[in-house]
Amino acid sequence: MESIIQIFVSGLTLGAMYAVGTVSLSLLWGAVNVLNMAHGALLVIGGYASWYTATRLGIPPFLGYFSAALVSATMAVLMYLLILRWLKGRRGADVLIIVATFAIAMILENVVLNVFGGYAVAQPAKLSGGVYISSVFVPAQNILIMVLALVLMALLALILQRTALGRSIRAVAQNSQAAVLMGIKVQHTYIAVYAIAGAFAGFSGVLWSSISTLSPTMGFDPMLKAFVICVAAGLGQIGGALAVAILLGLAEAAIQYYVGVRFALPFLLLAVVALLIVRPQGLFGIHGKARQ
Amino acid sequence: MKKESYIVLPILAVLCIALPLFYGDRYVIGQATVALIWATVALNWNLVFSMAGVFSLAQLAFFAVGGYTLAVLNGHFGISTWIALPVAGLVTMMVGMLSGAACLRLRGAYVALLTLALSQALYLLIVTDTACFRTEGGNCIPFTGGSRGLSRYEDFGFREFLPYPVSHIGDYGLAAALLIVSLFVAILVSRSPFGLGFRSIRDNEQYARARGLNRFRFQLSVFAISAAFTGMAGALYAGHFRVMGPNVLRLDVMLFVFAMIVVGGGLKIWGPLLGAAIITVLREVSVSFDSWQPTILGGIMLVVILLAPQGVSGLLALVDPRQRAGSRLERRKREGI
Repeated sequence: MESIIQIFVSGLTLGAMYAVGTVSLSLLWGAVNVLNMAHGALLVIGGYASWYTATRLGIPPFLGYFSAALVSATMAVLMYLLILRWLKGRRGADVLIIVATFAIAMILENVVLNVFGGYAVAQPAKLSGGVYISSVFVPAQNILIMVLALVLMALLALILQRTALGRSIRAVAQNSQAAVLMGIKVQHTYIAVYAIAGAFAGFSGVLWSSISTLSPTMGFDPMLKAFVICVAAGLGQIGGALAVAILLGLAEAAIQYYVGVRFALPFLLLAVVALLIVRPQGLFGIHGKARQ
Repeated sequence: MKKESYIVLPILAVLCIALPLFYGDRYVIGQATVALIWATVALNWNLVFSMAGVFSLAQLAFFAVGGYTLAVLNGHFGISTWIALPVAGLVTMMVGMLSGAACLRLRGAYVALLTLALSQALYLLIVTDTACFRTEGGNCIPFTGGSRGLSRYEDFGFREFLPYPVSHIGDYGLAAALLIVSLFVAILVSRSPFGLGFRSIRDNEQYARARGLNRFRFQLSVFAISAAFTGMAGALYAGHFRVMGPNVLRLDVMLFVFAMIVVGGGLKIWGPLLGAAIITVLREVSVSFDSWQPTILGGIMLVVILLAPQGVSGLLALVDPRQRAGSRLERRKREGI
């Protein structure tokens, strides 16, 4: 019983964090067809923005979540305006975009390494203490992560379903040319998508670093997990990605508990590879999209 | 990729022979050896991109498999490095075909993500490997050497039968030979009906399939060839440095090799070789900015992608009037004029 609670607590925490990070990737893929290899770097930038404002500028630590979202969103928009905008519509654009975001990731992480140093630091935007659920200690930060993830998901759903911006994002995702003809300002919508995706990435960076530590290379593992989730759910399927994120978090916690920490990623990958051989478009993907 | 001519082969051979004759310096030859090894990886990686049309990021995993095969066979089982070298090629070919079979059912971005995840899983498994495979002098040595890597094994033994001042030429010659053979095979494949099949699949898959070409089988063969040479390059790397660690699976190494393809340009078969030369020279020049090197590399890649998406070899091709006319025609076709 105790072990089951333990697995559920860490599994749901992981799942909640995966969900926040995955939304960023999934949104960019689904709405603007960009596979963002700089996702991990945006996480790192967000984590350090929170740390910097709290320890160096003396702003209350919990506001770090906002500074992280702001800085990462700005970075994502800059990334689009300065570089990715020019690659759209070129021959082989999808591969060029992967390479370009990869290069951007390297630059960002290298700059963080040179400015803040390679030592892992603790994230100040973090709750201490916790509660007991029948002798299992649940840290308050884990609860905060789950609550924040829920709030963020609700917020995103609200934006996408109920606002004019959300409608134009969905229109651009479906058919950007038709969207132009309907008078939607596609350029503005693109910028908004990058800003939202960046903000989610920055936020998720603070969440990740709050339960582990902050270092220039901390973004890679969450990015990889987000990729795996996106692929398993079907690229661009935001709702499906959430379900898979929670499922994967629970599965990972169970494997870590029963088999060993080092086997979690290989096991998950095997499962995803097996899934993709049966369903190349992912669990929720539309058939034919993965094979084009 | 157009029909490649064999002329690049003698040019490469002459350059490889000329370098030690004019700059016999130990340091230069050492760096050139490593550059030749990376050039082999870049060449074969580009083969997967441009001929099979598969955006795989597993190339350095193949490189690592080859290197570890040599280190394990020689270090743990005492098998000669000269036997381990071709065995590494074979083992990597099998691994390449296996992972290819899993990945090739997918397209574009999915392949990139899965292959990246596979190589990261390999990295994690090696780094966290602590179970003793054997003990030597009280030291526990895991099968893969763990995060410290494997180091107690032999090199190719050129020191014994080459006289002192030229003993370092041995590894260099071996690396050059591997690159030349690999380039020969790449050109052969691109010129053969086999290669034409690849291109037709890449350019218009539905038509190619209607003509009875099997995409899966073609792509799997390219994966196998490319993995075999990359594995041997890895084995050469392991034998040259006499240490094999998981660091070759790190992202910055991947970016480093990737930059060779981007900067050199993947449209020409010799593009990645030119890229390898440019990146190696750049790295030597910028050695004083050591900690900023990823930024410099990334910046160069961005500039090249934005201004010359076909790389330096693509720019050189523009000088050729026939190509220029061709590309003008192509552009008009694209713009529908």
